[in-house]
Amino acid sequence: MSERTITFTKEQIVAYAEASGDHNPIHLDDDFARTVGLPGIIAHGMLQMGLMAMVAAEAAGGPDRLRRLYCRFAGMVVPGDTVTFMAKPAGEGKLELRAVNQREEPVLTKSVGEYSS
Amino acid sequence: MSSEVGAGAAGVAGRTYPPVNFQIEPERAAAFARAIGADPKDGVPPTFAAVYSLGATAPQLFGDPDAAVDFARLLHADQEFTWARHPRPGETVTSQGRVASDVSRRGMRFVTFETETTDPTGQPVCRSKALFVIRS
Repeated sequence: MSERTITFTKEQIVAYAEASGDHNPIHLDDDFARTVGLPGIIAHGMLQMGLMAMVAAEAAGGPDRLRRLYCRFAGMVVPGDTVTFMAKPAGEGKLELRAVNQREEPVLTKSVGEYSS
Repeated sequence: MSSEVGAGAAGVAGRTYPPVNFQIEPERAAAFARAIGADPKDGVPPTFAAVYSLGATAPQLFGDPDAAVDFARLLHADQEFTWARHPRPGETVTSQGRVASDVSRRGMRFVTFETETTDPTGQPVCRSKALFVIRS
């Protein structure tokens, strides 16, 4: 089982926006995020998936082995949320993946991971 | 008229955008790795596909006046990447985006955007499938 627990920060979300080029203001500007009905800025789904991919790669025996990754961004992640990402091999090149927040609510659902040996 | 096309029942389903070349600059891949807490020594992070595949092509959709996507009301609902292989730092890849479906119902618009990424010899590298939900 590979596992990583991260407490998301505004700085990390801003750093991800810079590195990925995804500057949607819902990730950067609290006031703006509220005008579109969000509680404030939210983490990029792709930042969460990036962390999931890391534990998935670890469970697969290396990033080069990862062949497929699917994640549904089901739960909002806001600064201060702590999310645990977990991956373990489930046979026949498949991975069992889970990401839950500090309230044990899944933030990524229906995740699918596949790897080659 | 064209501004109403995106909000219509058919939207821009089937639309294909011109291929985009993307050079995977080692520094940029390393900065991305650090932003997700990965070790840049492990090479290009798998989800750097969010940049070289999805990220290289999605701006064409967002900037398409016929698609009329309100970027600020857009949520990335799900994502799939399928890799034939992972690109290496310094490599140039080519990505082409296509609107696989565009459906509006109950005040929400669902756009499935697919991107095929290939290497200079035309061999597949990555396939991205993103679902965007645009709230009205």
